[in-house]
Amino acid sequence: MSTDDTSGSLDRPTEEITLTVNGESVAAEVEPRHKLSDFLRDARGLRGVRVGCEHGVCGACTVLLDGRSVKSCLTYAVQADGAEIETVEGLADDDGSLHPIQESFHEEHALQCGFCTSGFVMATKELLGENSDPDDDEIEAGLADNVCRCTGYQNIYDAVNRAAEKMDGRERDGEQLDETETDGEDR
Amino acid sequence: MSSRSETDGEPTAESETKTASEAFTGRGLNRVEDRRILTGEAEYVHDKAPDDALHVALVRSMHAHAVIESIDTDEAEAHPGCHLVLTAADLKDDYNPMPAGLLGFEEWSLADGKARYVGEPVAAVVADDRYVAEDAVDLVTVKYDTEEAVVDPREAREDEVLVHEDHGTNVGDHEELTFGDPDAAFENADRVVEGSYSWGRISGVPLETAGVVAEYDRDTDSFDIDCNIQLHTLVDDTVYETLGYDPDDVNLEVPPDVGGSFGTKIAIHRYCCLAAMASKELDRPVAFVEDRIENLQGGDMHSTEREYDVKLALDDDGTIRALDVWFVDDFGAWPRYPINQVLKPLSVLTNAYDVQDARYEYDLVLTNKTCQTAYRGFGVPAHLYALEMIVDEAASELGMDPDELRRRNLVSPDQMPYELASKNLYDSGDFPAALAHVRGKIEEERDGGLLDPDLVESKREEGKYRGVRPTVHIEPGVSGSDWTNRQRSERDELDDRDRDDVAELPEHLRAEVREDGTVRAFLATDSSGQGHQTLVTQLLADELDLLPSDIEVVYLDSVDAPTEYGTAASRMAVMLSGAAQGLGDELVGNLELLAAEIWDCESADATYRDGAVYRLDGGGGDGDDSLSLSELAGEDRDRDADERLTRASYDYEHPATRLDEFDEALARKFPVYPTAAFAANAPIVEVDAKTGEVEILKFYSLRDCGTQLNPTIVEGQAHGGLAQGIGAALQEEFAYDATGQPQAITLFDYRLPSIENVPEMELDHTETPSPFTATGAKGTGEGGMIDGPAAIACSVNAALEPLGVTADRIPFTPNRVRERIRERGTED
Ligand code: FES
Ligand code: FES
Repeated sequence: MSTDDTSGSLDRPTEEITLTVNGESVAAEVEPRHKLSDFLRDARGLRGVRVGCEHGVCGACTVLLDGRSVKSCLTYAVQADGAEIETVEGLADDDGSLHPIQESFHEEHALQCGFCTSGFVMATKELLGENSDPDDDEIEAGLADNVCRCTGYQNIYDAVNRAAEKMDGRERDGEQLDETETDGEDR
Repeated sequence: MSSRSETDGEPTAESETKTASEAFTGRGLNRVEDRRILTGEAEYVHDKAPDDALHVALVRSMHAHAVIESIDTDEAEAHPGCHLVLTAADLKDDYNPMPAGLLGFEEWSLADGKARYVGEPVAAVVADDRYVAEDAVDLVTVKYDTEEAVVDPREAREDEVLVHEDHGTNVGDHEELTFGDPDAAFENADRVVEGSYSWGRISGVPLETAGVVAEYDRDTDSFDIDCNIQLHTLVDDTVYETLGYDPDDVNLEVPPDVGGSFGTKIAIHRYCCLAAMASKELDRPVAFVEDRIENLQGGDMHSTEREYDVKLALDDDGTIRALDVWFVDDFGAWPRYPINQVLKPLSVLTNAYDVQDARYEYDLVLTNKTCQTAYRGFGVPAHLYALEMIVDEAASELGMDPDELRRRNLVSPDQMPYELASKNLYDSGDFPAALAHVRGKIEEERDGGLLDPDLVESKREEGKYRGVRPTVHIEPGVSGSDWTNRQRSERDELDDRDRDDVAELPEHLRAEVREDGTVRAFLATDSSGQGHQTLVTQLLADELDLLPSDIEVVYLDSVDAPTEYGTAASRMAVMLSGAAQGLGDELVGNLELLAAEIWDCESADATYRDGAVYRLDGGGGDGDDSLSLSELAGEDRDRDADERLTRASYDYEHPATRLDEFDEALARKFPVYPTAAFAANAPIVEVDAKTGEVEILKFYSLRDCGTQLNPTIVEGQAHGGLAQGIGAALQEEFAYDATGQPQAITLFDYRLPSIENVPEMELDHTETPSPFTATGAKGTGEGGMIDGPAAIACSVNAALEPLGVTADRIPFTPNRVRERIRERGTED
């Protein structure tokens, strides 16, 4: 068995980046090849950023970059220099109450293993930001870049619809809906 | 996608409220697992590496079949940040080969002398992080002498190229089983119908790849291994035997959150072992996270690939007299642990049909492909597909309506419990009613719906062929254990084993009352999204008259947990619900005893209800007539840990263990699955004859898994299973070229169903409680994947009927369907 105990010095060029992650300003030295997904997970400890394929198909790593969804596995951290990044960790209120999208995924059983879930939640956030009342075709188009291996998608449609209703309601009322009030009644 | 109508009575998750005497079990309680996942707090094994962990990357063979002449690791080892390079030569000094599914195979954790499939690990590089580890992988030079590869499973049987020279043949296992008198039945029947069908290599492809963090402890000479292996208390032998340690010194722990498994992760022990070995060598924690290309190419994660020749003996009136199934299953380069998937179909040998004479024969072959593991359904989906295909072929040859042929042969409710020719039993169910239900649904579609005759006709003019063919399918649930030893035992020893020697593994559950008045329960199994924590929470809440929020459910590691079977084989609803009932009784009894002891009264005078024990003999005086859970826990504190009455554990026995009905199956070591969940399916499909593309317009299904413990979870399992069934039937496949190069090594090539591929599903549910299980529950974890592909295959062929074309290779990809249409020369 062969070992090398003298871990020699590492000549790995880095670049300095500054970005905002979930509202917090961050400066860091990163290798140009460092993926944004790895940067967020390892350097920022954001484990809601999941990595399922690292080649842009599964969407588990979806985050919002300046409000647009990107696959953080196909984005280098250096490309996010100056950008604003939102991940699933930034959604819940400071008092711990869940964002309507998170609530709706929970209430509609739109997650099983949960590995895809943060990607779906972030893609839904972008979708509902652009279209507050999407029909099924629009939901399909909006979430076609994400794969869920567990749920069969049916409950994900329901969760998106429910979230759209809640977010619409909140905008109108300017207040949080009581979870029990809507529970099971909007179907 | 068409607009999605809501189904009446479709379950919706519920929040935790409870009115007096209403049970949580049977309700679609919201899952307790969700919050941590939705907020990004869940910790999957990919998140587990501590800061000082080193990371592994693997050198993998790019050849399907090659002698390894030399491995030069010098340059890699000299690379800054690289700490270690391991090869088979290093492992062989200190460790053991990995246990194989069949006797007589010696597989090391790294290829030893020869690479037998593309992607087989040849060397392991350990470095500061994965980026550097991959840099160093590129610096390892392996000299190969390539050999011809054997890829086609039927050809492999001819042994012209041997995958394992020592073994002398590529046929790893062969068995022929007869039940009843098939020869006579085939002789005497009016006619014999034959067909050949193939089932492409598919698998579960969970969204989370395999991962492990291993840490060796020099002081205790033991290992802590976090990994996402499935069945960690059953298959831990694959890790500790390879390491050459006692089971107690290899502590396998699976995090509460696992990103899907579907059976596949049962076989990731290689990674656990390599990380553990590196950790011991380097005295550091070592992590490995498989990337997606590794997972698809050489991650030991592929599953069933079969070629079938099937025969059916029938009378002219449509009575099926006998079945003859032969198949070859391509296991890839090594016979992996979950080898019994070739035998599991015996538990549903004749599906929902009443046929008592049958032959079942298989060759299990080895080829230069990635090794197989288990996948949802464990060999049953392919069997049901072949069986339903031959039934359709028979109908066509008899000139009989396939519905009529099916109806005529279905097992009827008054035959329940029904003993199959292969000795397993179906517990309960009404198959004809299920079939009639989905037939009713499609009749409605003929009336101005998707199957309106005018619409069907005008679509046909555009070259689009619509069709549907209802089918009924059984999902065998729960599994026994003894038969799974079959392939790892000498055959003649099997006959000497007695019914009484048979161990049908129970499921373990334990709980303790805590001083804050809550109850903590411990699962001995692992989960990967099925909601076991929720299920046990709601069951125990009912057993103990508590609210779900008073119950916390956590997991035991492989050392603390008894060696149990765990999550597999549509088993947990049955086993956990039985265990929760038993545990609840046990704990209530203990608490009453404890209270009686404290009060110094008869235990009959202490009775448990609503989270407290009440004194009935009125002896306590004011304020001393009840003890709450937290008071009881406080009183119990000083007792020795193993004598505490606020703790209890329970092992629920496999339901067949105590039933005479299963004697014969158990004695003869055949698959014993005491529950028969079932489904009748009617997917309406449209085939574009010009492109060969199949679209499922709508999927009707009637499903029955006995008592539904949590209808929301039941529905979720069905949705997910059906989506996987759709993927298997139409788009997923690990194809290989003639030289053994895998063709699907990214998710661009291995096409998982996306939201665009999954149609609207309209599911209805009935509940026929199982008479064999504690709660009436039947298993439901594999439904959809078990029955979806067969149902879709039959409907596609119903659609293709006017063209005189039969699609017979799953997946029915556009090119395959086109190929058949082209062969018939019926295209426009
Ligand atoms: S991990 Fe980024 S798309 Fe799959
Ligand atoms: S919940 Fe498992 S992949 Fe979506």
